[in-house]
Amino acid sequence: YVLLSHLHFSVRLSPGLLGLLSQARLHSIAAEKKNYLQEEPTSSHRRNASQFDWALMRLDNSVRRTGRIPKTLLQKVFDNTCHSGSPGGNQALLLLRSCGSLLPELKLSERTEFAHKIWDELQKLGTVYDVSHYNALLKVYLQNDHKFSPTDFLARMEKGNIQPNRVTYQRLIAAYCNMGDIEGASTILGFMKTKDLPVTEAVFSALVTGHARSGDMENAENILTVMKEAGIEPGPDTYLALLNAYAEKGDIDHVKQTLEKVEKSDLYLMDRDLLQIILSFSKAGYPQYVPEILEKITYERRYIPDTMNLILLLVTEKLEDTALQILLACPISRESSQNDFGSFFLRHCVTMNTPAEKLKDYCKKLKEAQLHTSPLQFTLQCALVAQKLDLAKVLMKALKEEGFPIRTHYFWPLLVGHQKEKNVQGIVEVLKGMHEIGVTPDQETYVNYVFPCFDSIKSVRAVLQENGCPHDDNVFSQAELRSKAVNGNLDYILSFLVDLAGVNFYCVCSNLLLLLQCTHFLSYQITELLYKDGRYCQEPPGPTEAVGYFLYNLIDSMSDSEVQAKEERLRQYFHQLKEMNVKIPENIYRGIRNLLDSYHVPELIKDVNILVEREKTDSRKPSSSDLESKLEKLKAENQPIGDILKQLIVMLCSEENMQKALELKAKYESDMVVGGYAALINLCCRHDNAEDALNLKREFDRLDSSAVLDTGKYVRLVKVLGKHGKLQDAINILKEMKEKDVPVKDATVLSFFHILNGAALRGETETVKQLHEAIVTLGLAKPSTALSSPLVTLYLEKDDLPAALESTIDCYEKYKILPRIHDVLCKLIEKGETELIQKAMDFVSQEQGEMTMLYDLFFAFLQTGNYKEAKKIIETPGIRARPTRLQWFCDRCIANNQVETLEKLVELTQKLFECDRDQLYYSLLKLYKVNDDWQKADAVWNKMQEENIIPREKTLRLLAEILRNNNQEVPFDVPELWYEEEKDCPTSLPSPVEVNLQQGLLNACHRRRNKGKHAFNIFLTAKKQNIVFDNETYARLINLLLMKDNSTQAMQVKDFAETHIKGFTLNDAANSLLIITQVRRDYLKDALTTLKTALDLDQIPSRLAVTRLIQACALKGDTESIHDIQKLVNGLEDSIGLSRMVFINNIALAQIKNNNIDVAIESIENMLTSENQTVDPQYFGLAYLFRKVIEGQLEPALKKISIMAERLANQFAVYKPVTDLFLQLVDSGKVNDARALLQRCGAIAEQMPILLVFCIRNCQRPGKAPVMKSLLELIPELIDKEEAYTCLMKSYVFDNDVTSAKALYESLTAKNVKLNDLFLKRYAVLLKNAGESVPFTEPPESFEFYAKQLKESKETHL
Amino acid sequence: MAASAARGAVVLRTNIGRPVAFVRKIPWTAASSELREHFAQFGHVRKCTVPFDKETGFHKGMGWIHFSSEEELHNALQQENHIIDGVKLHVQPQKPKALQGDQTSDEEKDF
Repeated sequence: YVLLSHLHFSVRLSPGLLGLLSQARLHSIAAEKKNYLQEEPTSSHRRNASQFDWALMRLDNSVRRTGRIPKTLLQKVFDNTCHSGSPGGNQALLLLRSCGSLLPELKLSERTEFAHKIWDELQKLGTVYDVSHYNALLKVYLQNDHKFSPTDFLARMEKGNIQPNRVTYQRLIAAYCNMGDIEGASTILGFMKTKDLPVTEAVFSALVTGHARSGDMENAENILTVMKEAGIEPGPDTYLALLNAYAEKGDIDHVKQTLEKVEKSDLYLMDRDLLQIILSFSKAGYPQYVPEILEKITYERRYIPDTMNLILLLVTEKLEDTALQILLACPISRESSQNDFGSFFLRHCVTMNTPAEKLKDYCKKLKEAQLHTSPLQFTLQCALVAQKLDLAKVLMKALKEEGFPIRTHYFWPLLVGHQKEKNVQGIVEVLKGMHEIGVTPDQETYVNYVFPCFDSIKSVRAVLQENGCPHDDNVFSQAELRSKAVNGNLDYILSFLVDLAGVNFYCVCSNLLLLLQCTHFLSYQITELLYKDGRYCQEPPGPTEAVGYFLYNLIDSMSDSEVQAKEERLRQYFHQLKEMNVKIPENIYRGIRNLLDSYHVPELIKDVNILVEREKTDSRKPSSSDLESKLEKLKAENQPIGDILKQLIVMLCSEENMQKALELKAKYESDMVVGGYAALINLCCRHDNAEDALNLKREFDRLDSSAVLDTGKYVRLVKVLGKHGKLQDAINILKEMKEKDVPVKDATVLSFFHILNGAALRGETETVKQLHEAIVTLGLAKPSTALSSPLVTLYLEKDDLPAALESTIDCYEKYKILPRIHDVLCKLIEKGETELIQKAMDFVSQEQGEMTMLYDLFFAFLQTGNYKEAKKIIETPGIRARPTRLQWFCDRCIANNQVETLEKLVELTQKLFECDRDQLYYSLLKLYKVNDDWQKADAVWNKMQEENIIPREKTLRLLAEILRNNNQEVPFDVPELWYEEEKDCPTSLPSPVEVNLQQGLLNACHRRRNKGKHAFNIFLTAKKQNIVFDNETYARLINLLLMKDNSTQAMQVKDFAETHIKGFTLNDAANSLLIITQVRRDYLKDALTTLKTALDLDQIPSRLAVTRLIQACALKGDTESIHDIQKLVNGLEDSIGLSRMVFINNIALAQIKNNNIDVAIESIENMLTSENQTVDPQYFGLAYLFRKVIEGQLEPALKKISIMAERLANQFAVYKPVTDLFLQLVDSGKVNDARALLQRCGAIAEQMPILLVFCIRNCQRPGKAPVMKSLLELIPELIDKEEAYTCLMKSYVFDNDVTSAKALYESLTAKNVKLNDLFLKRYAVLLKNAGESVPFTEPPESFEFYAKQLKESKETHL
Repeated sequence: MAASAARGAVVLRTNIGRPVAFVRKIPWTAASSELREHFAQFGHVRKCTVPFDKETGFHKGMGWIHFSSEEELHNALQQENHIIDGVKLHVQPQKPKALQGDQTSDEEKDF
């Protein structure tokens, strides 16, 4: 195995060496990075899996190329599988499936024997069989005409505890029918009916065969009627069964009639089907009808393997004359002498011992038909390989007759066989044969092929003489001499070298040399690639880390002497990197330093050191106000302020304080430096302030015209300027980017796309066109499909289809790309724009070929639900599978959750040539997984068996996962998880799929539809493919999910992100949301942990989050946690906006919940009466505590609190608590209790500020009218306050309480209160809405007007 | 570096000044004598090897023609078609890969 992998490597080295090496490097780096997070999969699993892939590939290639599997190949794969230890279920399936019609070179009985051998052997090795294996075995039986007892088979399954499924029954019915046993078939059909399994076309087709074989053609025909009555239209398969039945009877007339019938119908018989009819005729002994069917064959290229298959099968069945007939009918291009098409036929004839004379005749015919250039030579070669001396002799004689020389080495293959077995007699036979043909053995023949068979050369001479073999003594002696020299005198090494002299030796040496020499100059390119190409290093950790690791590995992989020898070159290299501005992290630098130290080249350390990224380490940041005062001080002292000014501006920018920053700039304009401008420009762009951004840019240029901004700032400028119609300025920026050679990364190109796309969506034609033109002509980015798609989007958004198509075509003419052609086509189809569709199709097929056009059309029809049309397209003769395009559409369907579309795709491509069915079903399962649809997934499992497809391990695992997730039994042995799928494309290289998915996810987040389910589905899809997005994407998704209260899913995303992105963290907002969600779900411990995490990250959680958590703890009586939180947020209260009262209220509440009422009351009383009060009694709000106590009906606590509040009022003149209590009683509808309290403590009525605040707060919420009414009843004085009556009216209006509003208005007018316009407006609208007349002139202006007016009048009063 | 240079030198010494044609797609019916005969028209064939597989008794379809001079090799390569027993051979100069490796030294200067 190790050897193999080496060979593989050296073979791969030569072509595209550069590419491969760099890939290998990247792989190793990717693997290195991954190891942080993932465990190394065990090697045996990996071997097993690669074994399967290898086997599948070999067998698949064979089937695809030739329509069959050679026995030797199957044997080899089988042996390999056995050696691998424990073969997996799908390997077994693969082998079993291969034992049927894919082995046309084997007799039917031998095939079944082979299948049984595989079955037993693998079972012994521990392979677990499931229903799919039994079904595959059944299929093999059917294909091999194997006679067996279906009931025994069922019994065997039962014994193995395997539940038969639909496919099993279908095949058992077919088995009975093949034997003409209608009764048996009916029994099984009965089973199916009791199990409520659908009766498909396959069953009916089998019944046609069944009736026919039982001799009842009439009923066979009748089945078609029965089918139609059952609602199933007979398809090609049913007709084929009927045709075969007639063919078996030699009934050419009925065959022809039926064929005509099919031709007239909508159905379509493929070459493969017609070949079947030919086989039936031939096997039944009616070869005379073959030519009539042959005429109908179209000989499409894709059916050539099928034709070959049939030819071989006929030879195996000793019907070689018919086989030749078919072969000669094949319209293979006769000119190309390269491929001798008839070879396979000749070879198989040799294998099947076709008589020599017949073969000679075939050779002649093939040569005449120009199907083979040298059939005799080829047949001879086959005979030699098969060691058939007699045949070889006949053929050699024939060749000689035709004037071809017979050479000595023709006999070597024959001798080799006997030599291996030390078969002296055999050798003698061959030597005699040589003589017979007139060929004398030469030295080499003796030395290499004859002598090794004997103990001594002496005995050779004796035997030859004994058997009357003539030999040239001279030649014989020379041979003897050479033989001795070779065996005795040359030493091993020399002979080894001699053997190697030639290609191998050179290959080995040169490859090694090349490898050694390439390592260095390549590394520079790889490094650059790594650093410059954003795809290889997603944030974090970013390019510095990637390059750092690369350098480390590079040096690590070199030996010390190598490093010493290449010291100077490495030095140059590092300086080169420095010039490129490549940086590496400090920690990796330290690693490299240690390596260099151990290699004794410390001189190089300083050269690496220049690459280290220096982080600003000043931890104590002064505040902006500090800086400002410092600045003023320096200015006053007339000292240079440039640095400090820049620092201050940068800080203001980071605080997003644009106004202040701009003011500062204006004030100290003359002291501005480049850095300050850069930060300011960026800030203005962020704030969408195009005007200032542009001015600043101009000032920046005046300051230093050679100064260069970083790429991001340029891009932002372009974006803002473009957005604000400053097109020329935007283009100028682009030009400057080009002139100043600003690095354009992938991310930059993506930004360009977003700028263009944004403008396209806003319908800004000129902006899109001109900016795109500028970007492309300046060469800032290649005109890729993605970058150019906004040009089309522009018109698609406006529904201007002709223009959209025109634009796409225009792009092709300019840049050879067809952006959004799929979308354009879909829209054209939807709108029925036949002419434009025609135009588009003509264009595509002319420029990109008919196949591309067909696929475009196929996908567009599928997408728009025109399945019938799609079907016609994909059935176009000659169309073949294009895996990348199919995958593209699958991925699209998955990303957009288009179940039906994808199902149709899979259905319609069933007979598509070279279609990777497993891959398509895998995609379908992925989609079912997203939708958690196990029933459909289970149906896929059945369909795959019906189609005889070998699922790959990943497919089985996915299927099992879906079933398990839905608590369904998994009906097969699930391959162990040993490696993540699609690992071969490392996560650091985002594929288009990846980018699309990420974009799709972000879009879905943006739209926030259906609770983020769509976005989450995309995440799942990506996860399945092991695609890792960037930090920001996950953060957005988590935010969305949390907002939509999907905390479980949010946590799932968070866990995934944390395990796949080193140092992934949620931001402040997300953590706050998470806390809130966790509290809502009652995961208080988790919420507390989240809070701690956030605070550890120096984040400021939201007030709401912290408050909710504290309150939740209080309701649980968890005093301790509240204390913990208090400690955690200590010092941050103001930043969070947390009032101290939150803790006081909630600690007290928690204590009360724990029945520590006295403790709670005592501590509150202490706080309010002690000397050093932390909170002013006026603000000591206990309303929350009171409300919770009242709500919780904690009567004893309420009583004691009431006593405390009254005591505080009466003894300490602290009225805030008692007033709060009073108001909470009113608020809770306990008006009587409130009244009693008011009577005991009349001072409450005097606490106007508190009461008014209560009014203002309450009137902003609906449903508070009754509360307000009660309050007014209890404290009638309130009506004298303008705030109070305004609030009352507002509240009544809110609740549509016309009666109370009227009463209020009347009592106020009775008091002659001058009412303001806002009040009147409100009242008037309420009355009008209630359909009542307004007793005064309604103020004509809007609410806003009067609200503003009122506010202004109050301000002027002040 | 020194070691690899030395190895390179060994390879170079065995090849430089020894014009060799590498022939592929030799039909099974032809062996070294047929090749020698065919290539003799371009010059003196010093050596002609077509290694046979001792396991099968067939050769592997490739061989080497050692000419006496570069010119002769050049002659052979000039001819477009080389056909033996009706089969077109693939003939190319046997370029030691070590030479190709050596050429990279130019690019290394850009390093």
